[in-house]
Amino acid sequence: MRDGWDDDQLLAALGEAMKARETLPAQFIEAAKNAYAWHNIDAELAQLTYDSSRDESWSAAVRSETASIRALTFTSAHFAIELEVTEDFLLGQIMPPREGTIEAQTRAGATTATPVDEIGFFSMEPIPASPFRLHYRTAEGTDLVTGWITL
Amino acid sequence: MRGDYSSVALLVARAADGDQAAWNEIVERYAPLVWSICIRYRLSSHDIEDVSQSVWLLLVEHLGNLREPAALPGWLATTTQHECQRVLRAARRYDRFGPVPDELPPPLADDTVIEQEIITAERNAALRAAFGELAPRCRELLSMLITDPPLSYAKISATLQIPVGSIGPQRARCLERLRNSRSLSAFIDGETMPAHVRASGGETGA
Repeated sequence: MRDGWDDDQLLAALGEAMKARETLPAQFIEAAKNAYAWHNIDAELAQLTYDSSRDESWSAAVRSETASIRALTFTSAHFAIELEVTEDFLLGQIMPPREGTIEAQTRAGATTATPVDEIGFFSMEPIPASPFRLHYRTAEGTDLVTGWITL
Repeated sequence: MRGDYSSVALLVARAADGDQAAWNEIVERYAPLVWSICIRYRLSSHDIEDVSQSVWLLLVEHLGNLREPAALPGWLATTTQHECQRVLRAARRYDRFGPVPDELPPPLADDTVIEQEIITAERNAALRAAFGELAPRCRELLSMLITDPPLSYAKISATLQIPVGSIGPQRARCLERLRNSRSLSAFIDGETMPAHVRASGGETGA
């Protein structure tokens, strides 16, 4: 083995290496590179902990009765953001409630800012272009960002 | 150790310092590792996207305080596993037919499997970097030689406009350059071929 790989082994290994990279969807790589935009943004990450589209009982029971299309919850160590997507609005509740500003950011870099009222409620219209993520800030220094949201 | 290739610690330092190109290089090298682990957990493409974004965001957050930057592949593998388990746990909690356990689902891939994925990812990244060092002529020829299904020498001869008889010697020369490239020579030293590459096409048919 001291001599390393022979030509056939090396060519086979190269083939495998190229294939391992080429089979990845371009979007998978692109999103990973774009994550760097969050470098030096001192925000706490809130992760998706509930998604109604994965919940069979939700879609059966709720969907037929309300205008709600999708419900999502993002949770971090200190906060939870509950989202409800209706046909026209993106409605949200932040817990614990605190007044602030929430901003939707699309992958293309576009942003829309909306106030969060003193009971932690906010509403966005129109619904941001998917995928997007939410960035919540308060005067007290809260800085929270959700994972990407695809509707 | 691995010569130029061990510069993952340097890439981490540069990325922590604000260098997007270094970050992109980290992604190019190790995205296949994150991917392969998600595949081991049999996640849907939606869940893979979820896991991947969390993993890379966590890395962005931790760039400046990784305890051992050179061990980044191991960190990525572990973090990816945790995120895969988180996604599976979230899916279970809302499965009304299943149990609603709070404990972690058992890891679907054991440590040796993950260790192998890390080694494979490192080797593949070194091979791709080595390939990138080659002259365009060699890259063209080798690309044609690794296509699946393989191209005939007659077809390669016609496309590259070289005599069929010179393909063999050129193949040998290009592979020698690949082997001696900065990225790969240090890596090959002391490494042995993994069984599945060594046996390519042999054992499976038996």
